[in-house]
Amino acid sequence: MTHSSSSLHTFGRGGIHPGPHKEATASREIEDLPAPSEVVLPLLQHLGEPAEPCVKKGEMVRRGQKIAEGGKTGVPLHAPISGKVKPVDKRPHPTMAIAPSMAIGANAEAGPELEFPEDPEWRNLPLEEALSRVREAGIVGLGGAAFPTWRKLEFARAAKVDLLVMNGAECEPYLTSDYRVMLAWPTEIVEGSVLIAKIAGAKKVQIGVESDKPDAIEATTKAAAALTQREIPVEVVPCEARYPQGAEKQLVFAVSGRTVPARQLPSAVGVLVQNVATAHAVYEALRFRKPLLDRILTVTGPGIVQPRNVRAPLGASLADIVEFCGGIKPETNRMVAGGPMMGRALPRLDVPLIKGMNGLVMLTGRGPLEDGFGPCIRCGRCLDACPLGLEPDQVSVRVEVGRTLDCEPHGALDCYECGCCSYVCPSSRPLVQFMQVAKSALRRAAATRSAS
Amino acid sequence: MSENNPTFVLSPGPHLHTEESTSKIMWWVNGSLAPAVLWGVFVFGFNAALVVLASIAGAVLTEFASQKALGRRPTLTDGSAVCTGLLLALTVNPNLPAWQAFLGAMFAIGLGKMIFGGLGFNLFNPALLGRAFLMATFPLNMTSGWAMPRPWFGAPLDAVTTATPLAVLKEQGIEAAVQLVTSPAGLWNALALGFRPGSIGEVSLVLVALGGGILLARRIITLAIPLSVLAGVALSTLHTGVPLLHLMSGGLWIGAFYMATDYVTSPSTTRAQIAFGLLIGLLTGIIRVYGGYPEGICYAILIANAMAPALDLWFRPRRAAIAGSPS
Repeated sequence: MTHSSSSLHTFGRGGIHPGPHKEATASREIEDLPAPSEVVLPLLQHLGEPAEPCVKKGEMVRRGQKIAEGGKTGVPLHAPISGKVKPVDKRPHPTMAIAPSMAIGANAEAGPELEFPEDPEWRNLPLEEALSRVREAGIVGLGGAAFPTWRKLEFARAAKVDLLVMNGAECEPYLTSDYRVMLAWPTEIVEGSVLIAKIAGAKKVQIGVESDKPDAIEATTKAAAALTQREIPVEVVPCEARYPQGAEKQLVFAVSGRTVPARQLPSAVGVLVQNVATAHAVYEALRFRKPLLDRILTVTGPGIVQPRNVRAPLGASLADIVEFCGGIKPETNRMVAGGPMMGRALPRLDVPLIKGMNGLVMLTGRGPLEDGFGPCIRCGRCLDACPLGLEPDQVSVRVEVGRTLDCEPHGALDCYECGCCSYVCPSSRPLVQFMQVAKSALRRAAATRSAS
Repeated sequence: MSENNPTFVLSPGPHLHTEESTSKIMWWVNGSLAPAVLWGVFVFGFNAALVVLASIAGAVLTEFASQKALGRRPTLTDGSAVCTGLLLALTVNPNLPAWQAFLGAMFAIGLGKMIFGGLGFNLFNPALLGRAFLMATFPLNMTSGWAMPRPWFGAPLDAVTTATPLAVLKEQGIEAAVQLVTSPAGLWNALALGFRPGSIGEVSLVLVALGGGILLARRIITLAIPLSVLAGVALSTLHTGVPLLHLMSGGLWIGAFYMATDYVTSPSTTRAQIAFGLLIGLLTGIIRVYGGYPEGICYAILIANAMAPALDLWFRPRRAAIAGSPS
């Protein structure tokens, strides 16, 4: 299936083409990490309150068993492997350096994975029951932000959304995990989307997929056509391959034509956005009451010996995952969790896989800022690249001379940090970081004003 | 880095970056000027080559000295000082004494660029400031004693001093301008190919356009500024009956493609660039027709430079979405 660019949906302005870099893993099926000897589960894996352990140290737990409660705003944790619970302790955390974490040592005596029999009524669950299963399954947004999904659904329902936009764009270079998930479980994703739409009260589902994944478009389109229950229509919308097509605001505009106001959520225009991998997890939670136990991620980049799409139990050490992919090359000097545009550099491998980690990109060579940066030469490339029409150049020169509070008219508060401006800057200026500095200064000033 | 527990560089995102860089852009600009420069040196001879070298040397040495004196990191390899020296040389009389070109380049970089804080901070186009300085300081050398270009084949002519077509047009009218190159057809040929008296780099429209084409193809510049400059000149010279002559003569194309498109001293949004280009074009026409100079592009650009920051604020990018009422 091919699509001419004129028929493709896309966002209005800006954006970049950083190159797909997806060749290394796009054609590789999802491979299972050999069972790790230990998993480490940080009690905090998402926004919200930390999970509260509900099993004791020394206790034997089976894969799938709940080991921590989610409290009022979080989600529970489940044992991703069968084994013996180790005491809660401070352990290395991918983004928080060190954080209280549970750990489970693999132990055959603990028994096999719990069984998750099908609930024949899965399509017709009462709203409260469906929402509770999403929550009890420990599902968070798997696109990277890792916000508890049950809260997002509850919020969307209250905001009376009418449209569910499924994010299958995967616009980040290098990453192919969503793509492989769409190829492996198209029916489950489509079914899961309908289940999400029902919970959120949406009347229609649109699945946005970038056009450089024609077989994912074909697979999901077929799955949508094969739906037996059709009270909620599901449409697959091919989108132009252009970064940041998968950013919420851009994707909503591309598939539905609705413009999300700056600084607001898609629910402001009646839309809920969910990642395709999240739909798969919701499907399993509602049909089988199966909790989120594994994470599918792309391990790739010029610095990895054998790039792969890996399914690994949550809490597996990144070192084990990298080892499974042949290890790193000697020249590897940077590791990014997530995609290379919006992902975060991590310092070390001895940290656990957490729910929001959709990719691990091993990079070589000098990073964009390692040689410093130059002055703004006013070339205007950042103005052309910004998908929101903001002015990173104006913000950056003001921040450089300490005029952070003058940056509001130039859009600092609206920026969601997609990185297009930094990417195109010929002077290698850290424009995203200038935006961040201005944004936090403006927010602090606003907070001070409202407090006084 | 230990084999078992490596540590990684913690750099802020995005972790990918375009291949484009400021110095690459500058060297592309310099390279795209090569055809026009070589042609100028070929047709005007040895002194033109001296002027080009002296101007580049003056620019580069001044930048280096300034950065050394202020304890700053030398940035000669970024190509921007070479660019200024080159551009200045292209806008001067090929018979200018080389030391004057050197002095002009010193002024361009020293008082046109470094004193504002170096690359990115100057308000006015440094090369044109240098030219304005030379016009004020050595007006005779800048505006008289023009060399007649050598013919394609055969020995170079003895330095015939004559006036540029624009000067002839201004002083004596269109017939005299045509006389300069014997026929109307000859005049157009002379303007397009460069067999006429003029500044080193301005004589061949075709080669300047070729360089501009390279910059367009490399997406270093867009057509917004050059086209609107040309449109402005056409509009403001239409009533003279010879807008084509104005469009094809003088340093207009060097100005439109190279000077007015200088990133630092021009606006950044397309709408601001169109306003900027039109302003330059109109001012050029007005200066040429009503002002005291036969040529107007240099001062037109310098005046418009002063407007560039304001134009950027008047013609802001259109926001994809504006902030609604807080929910």
